[in-house]
Amino acid sequence: MTTRPNEPLLVAEDSNEDFKMLQRLMRRMTVQNPIYRCKTGDEVLDFLYQAGDYQSPAQAPRPSVILLDLNLPGIDGRDVLERLKQDISFKEIPIVVFTTSANPKDIELCYQRGANGYLIKPMDSSELEKTVQAFVEYWLEANTPPSVVS
Amino acid sequence: MNVNLTNHEKPIHAPGSIQSHGMLLVLEEPELKVLQVSNNINTYLGLQPQDLLDRPLSHLLIDPQQAIAIGQQLTGENTRNLLKLSISTDRGKHYFDAIAYRTADGAIVELEPIDSPNETSFLSFHAAIAGILSQIQSTSSLPEFLQLVAEEVRKLTGFDRVMVYQFDRTGAGCVVAETKRADLSPYLGLHYPATDLPQPARELYARCWLRFIPNISAPSVDLVTLNQQPVDLSLSILRSVDACCVEYHRNMGVAALLAIALMQEQQLWGLIACHHYTPKYLTSEVRIACKFLGQLASLELANKIRQQELSDRVKLKSLQSELIESISQASNFVEALIQPAPRLLSLTNATGAAVCLGNEISLVGATPSLEEVRSLIDWAETQVSDNLFATDSLPQIYLPSVEFKATASGLLLLRISQIRRYYILWFRPEVIQTVTWAGDPNSSFQLENGSVSLSPRRSFERWQETVKLKSLPWQSYELDSANDLKTAIVGVVLRKAEELAQINQELERSNRELAAFAYAASHDLKEPLRGIYNYSTILLEDYAALLDLDGVDCLQTIKSLSQRMETLIDALLRLSLLGKAQLHLQVTDLNELLQEAIAVLFASRPEVQMSVRIPRSLPTIECDPVLVNEVFSNLMSNALKYNDTDAWVEIGYQERSGEPTILYVRDNGIGIQTHHHETIFKLFKRLHSQDKYGGGTGAGLAIVKKIVELHGGKIWVESIPGAGATFYFSLQ
Repeated sequence: MTTRPNEPLLVAEDSNEDFKMLQRLMRRMTVQNPIYRCKTGDEVLDFLYQAGDYQSPAQAPRPSVILLDLNLPGIDGRDVLERLKQDISFKEIPIVVFTTSANPKDIELCYQRGANGYLIKPMDSSELEKTVQAFVEYWLEANTPPSVVS
Repeated sequence: MNVNLTNHEKPIHAPGSIQSHGMLLVLEEPELKVLQVSNNINTYLGLQPQDLLDRPLSHLLIDPQQAIAIGQQLTGENTRNLLKLSISTDRGKHYFDAIAYRTADGAIVELEPIDSPNETSFLSFHAAIAGILSQIQSTSSLPEFLQLVAEEVRKLTGFDRVMVYQFDRTGAGCVVAETKRADLSPYLGLHYPATDLPQPARELYARCWLRFIPNISAPSVDLVTLNQQPVDLSLSILRSVDACCVEYHRNMGVAALLAIALMQEQQLWGLIACHHYTPKYLTSEVRIACKFLGQLASLELANKIRQQELSDRVKLKSLQSELIESISQASNFVEALIQPAPRLLSLTNATGAAVCLGNEISLVGATPSLEEVRSLIDWAETQVSDNLFATDSLPQIYLPSVEFKATASGLLLLRISQIRRYYILWFRPEVIQTVTWAGDPNSSFQLENGSVSLSPRRSFERWQETVKLKSLPWQSYELDSANDLKTAIVGVVLRKAEELAQINQELERSNRELAAFAYAASHDLKEPLRGIYNYSTILLEDYAALLDLDGVDCLQTIKSLSQRMETLIDALLRLSLLGKAQLHLQVTDLNELLQEAIAVLFASRPEVQMSVRIPRSLPTIECDPVLVNEVFSNLMSNALKYNDTDAWVEIGYQERSGEPTILYVRDNGIGIQTHHHETIFKLFKRLHSQDKYGGGTGAGLAIVKKIVELHGGKIWVESIPGAGATFYFSLQ
């Protein structure tokens, strides 16, 4: 299994605790990819469009995968998903939804809006570990994302 | 010429004269002594009236067989059959068609000259009639049937124009079938006022089926009498023509006239009217055939009308069930009723309708204005007690309706609910506007010298007077139709009400469950939460030395998470309690209320630096002070929270006459982007991450909104990002 350690992962997650847990698990899985974090929907958009607090490419490189929480402060994750999938310059970036919501309506809506995967945050920590493991193995290792525009 | 109906010297049925194409004798039975004789006997027989008067008929009729035949007719043994008579005089032998019958004034014999006593023609007509009968019976619709009758009568008579008139309830006539010489202009569809055919004339038609005038301009011939009163000529085929009738038909250019009665249930239903534009004589045989045809048609007419009514009713029923079907399925009741518009109108043959549900009125077709309909309903509310009310002359009972007589001289009103203002109104126009009337009263029937006589011109005016402010009458089956609709609507409404009651019941139950849930959340869920918090605290206090920094950090996180959970549960509980809250309204001085809120805010955060600006004294309004206090506290603490500089907050109000006072809370904070102006009021919806601006729960503004809405007010925000925000709200 080849890893592409330089390809950046963008995590949209408002909960500090959840993000810490994710970081911890990835550290255990020795994920090498640089991880960027946005805490609100507005920040995600700023990050990708290099606006607001993310003016320079160094601060905000184009991510190869986005891990997106649905219930974000400000612009909702559902709307972020729609905006990005409708923008020709971002629609190729795989977006994996990562949320506590197991609501079938949310799942359907996200796939309709072009989500590439939908992962539910489990309560149980070993289940959580399996989920994160699966994400890392597929999206960061097995999957080949479209070539990153430099 | 000066003819006036009221000035008639002689009644129409006893004019004392006959038409000139035959002779008439009035005889005294049993010896058949001549009492009266028409003054044209000389023309046909070369005799003077005096030669016959007061003498027995045998003096005139040589042949004893003929006298016997007449006697038989008079005694009713061979009633009303045509007699073929021959009379020999000095000038030779004359042939006549004769009829004889009794009246109160004496026996009457009428004679019309013919060329020969040949009878063969009658048989051929008889054969023709038999053929017509089978055709008539095979026609399917009333109009088709009437058209066939008109065509057959024209074939029989050869008249230029044959029409079928139908009389309506008011006696006005309409041409419902017509066949004519190609070059004549059509009369089909035209209406004639009832006054065109005076009542006495109608009665005569009903009695003798046929009226024949071969030459309307021929001078009439007087009856010569020995001091006797004019005899009743109701049954006479030769009876002279009333001057009115002459005038009327001359105006139309008609020279010869044949009219055959169409009877239905002993009533004059209509006429087969034949016009010829030059004088035209028909033999007795042809006339008998016509009369026979008229009688046949009358018999069949009842059948056809029944069929027509049946098919109309079937059509109406299917229309009704279609309407009811769509009403019962529709979510929008009124839409289903008025779309498509013609359906509602066809139900009662109206030209306009209004559907009124409470204050909402929908208009369909030709109707008075919305305001006029509203006033009409106001009037009906107090004046009409029946659930179904119909009038064909609304202006007579509701004067303002004169203004809209052109759309609503006739009203059919259906009250659907006794409790609510639910009505359906159907309208019909003034009858004058309804139909095409024959002849323009201002041009075609002008009479000279302003004569006061009865004429078509005058009769039209007189008729106009009688039908002003009236519509065509509502038929009983149309009223039934409206009633059926009501029954159906009530059924549908009841069913909907039942459904609604059920939904309400479920809603009530789920509300109770929600309240129970909120209670459980506030008490039962908090208990384990407290445990988590307390045991984490114990761990930190007593065992911190055994843990490394990461471990301590984890326990701190557990503590802060459980605190956060408690805040969220509190917010949820607060909101759910607000949902059931009863407002305790009281007159409140907002200045006092605000001072309390400010005091509490600063007391709870002594470190806070914020100036509060109140540009002018706030008004006193009626509100729930406890809840409004919460509004001000929440908005002010938000102003404080979302601020990067030296914070100030301004509280004021705007007043516009006739509108509720609008209060505002303005700050110099970070502001809110336009696309978030509505989402900020949603529960648990935050704009910023947990670690910014004190990490609110996203419940404050949802609670504020709920309180404002409980007061019947609205809240909204205006803001430019980076330049502060202003929250506006009303409390009424």
